[in-house]
Amino acid sequence: MSASTAPAAPIPAPAGRTEPSGLAYIVPALLLVLAFFALPVAALLLRSVTEPTLGLHNYAELFGTTTYLKIFLNTFVVSALVTLISVVVGFPVAWMLAIMPRRWSQVIFAILILSMWTNLLARTYAWMVLLQRTGVINKTLMGLGIIDQPLELVNNLTGVTIGMTYIMLPFVILPLTGIIRVIDPAILQAASLCGATRAQSLRRVLVPLAMPGILSGALMVFVMSLGYFVTPALLGGTANMMLAELIAQFVQSLVNWGMGAAAAFILLVITLGLYALQLRLFGTRRMGGA
Amino acid sequence: MRLKLTLAAMLASVAIPAAAADMVFTSWGGTTQDAQAAAWIEPFSAESGVSVLQDGPTDYGKIKAMVEAGNVSWDVVDVEGDYAALAGPAGLLEPLDFTVIDKSKLDPRFVTDYSVGSFYYSFVIGCNKDAAGECPKTWAELFDTATFPGKRTFYKWSAPGVIEAALLADGVAPADLYPLDLDRAFKKLDTIKGDIIWWSSGAQSQQMLASAETPFGSFWNGRLTALADSGVTVETSWDQNITAADSLVVPKGAKNKAEAMKFIALATSAKPQAEMAVATGYAPINLDAPAEMDPAIRATLPDQQAATQINADMTYWAAHRDEIGSRWYAWQAQ
Repeated sequence: MSASTAPAAPIPAPAGRTEPSGLAYIVPALLLVLAFFALPVAALLLRSVTEPTLGLHNYAELFGTTTYLKIFLNTFVVSALVTLISVVVGFPVAWMLAIMPRRWSQVIFAILILSMWTNLLARTYAWMVLLQRTGVINKTLMGLGIIDQPLELVNNLTGVTIGMTYIMLPFVILPLTGIIRVIDPAILQAASLCGATRAQSLRRVLVPLAMPGILSGALMVFVMSLGYFVTPALLGGTANMMLAELIAQFVQSLVNWGMGAAAAFILLVITLGLYALQLRLFGTRRMGGA
Repeated sequence: MRLKLTLAAMLASVAIPAAAADMVFTSWGGTTQDAQAAAWIEPFSAESGVSVLQDGPTDYGKIKAMVEAGNVSWDVVDVEGDYAALAGPAGLLEPLDFTVIDKSKLDPRFVTDYSVGSFYYSFVIGCNKDAAGECPKTWAELFDTATFPGKRTFYKWSAPGVIEAALLADGVAPADLYPLDLDRAFKKLDTIKGDIIWWSSGAQSQQMLASAETPFGSFWNGRLTALADSGVTVETSWDQNITAADSLVVPKGAKNKAEAMKFIALATSAKPQAEMAVATGYAPINLDAPAEMDPAIRATLPDQQAATQINADMTYWAAHRDEIGSRWYAWQAQ
């Protein structure tokens, strides 16, 4: 049944080689993209310039109001922070996974994947319970006498960053491990034979070799973070709202589809822009890592 | 594949007559919708033989999208009263058929051409006595961070309740509340902004009070009743409790209009209203319902707290909903 309605993703033809028959294979996929992506997006764009009246006033209001600009800025700040921390934390983990015995790394991979399969909402609520003022973390720290006032870990930037980093980490670790695995260990040996310290071989050999994986993982996390909704809505305060929350608010609470569509379209343009940048920097071949 | 398709076609042809008799009821989920299912849907299905599908949560964006697309899959929706007052004249709702629904027994405060009350509730001051020690009893005290330090919780979304509370806390007399002085309300809210943690759902408000994340705040009264039943030491202050109601509406172009009207007629009748009130702690909107209830339970409902009660003005809210909403969310995001 499903085979007749949802065509399987086509296998991309290797770059640089042209196969005339390839075009026919993409037609079902193109039709799917047209029906379920291009048309709705066009309808959205139309709404953003026609509701309530014809013109660009929705965009003017979004770019001309400090509150909305602050939300745009906050979206970028949160996404950048999450990306940075994900890479800094994810790199050593990926490295460790790449060099440890397969048997152990498989266990850790299984844990990572299981966490990704667990319901997002459940995971976010769990963080809420851990991070709140009367939560496990604050109670433990206060019990140990390390702090006497509970730390503000949730309903603010800290909460969003912690929650989103946790969710994004696998998206850095998984591709990065694949990239590091294919680096020949002999190169690192050669570096130390040539007199490089451990820090030098990390900084001047391993990191540059892993850079395509780092950058593509980082860009993926950044782009995913830009449109994130659930985690910021639950772990953030109203003062650090993100773009997706603003869109939901326009559509659901204020029933102002014009503004909601305009904000959604801006998000789409930014995302596509970043994707184009990625293609430009890395081409299509190196993407996807593992 | 062919066999599968044939099977699917056969199943579909069997399912269509049954589906035609179905109607869809949409509400906010959680314990409230569970109570509505038990008090309204079960007797309705038993009596009429109509099977009722449930959906949720209520989503105003979705209602608008359905009506505009001419493909309305919700037949009866539980919405907030101010939304009903706004959406009816805006052409998003079907006028109700009052030859089927007997409005003579319904609380007239909550009846319009397009909506009838579903249940009504009060925003009250709730306090976790064990955690707080001393409990704020008035809106002014809830806004007084010097005497009552610590975090407090309020309803996150733009709706009747919080702005009224701020003005009452600032000393506005109940009679002078409307039209709302928004500048004054936001100025008052500014004084406690850093101490507010917002609750966005009833379940979340209960979690925050029970865990003492916020030892006090403004709550829907029914959620406090439920929390007290679960063993938390809750103190409720009814002083200047602010009432608002949910309404039942039929989106414009609903496919099962006739069933929808019959469903609303049953849901707003005395006994189902009484059962709903007993289960939730919210007040019935049918004037005969209280007679059907245990007096001990009845004493805990908002309609027994009329002495210091303030009715949120739904007509005012309907007229200013967008304006207040834009300002509210902008203020929150600042």
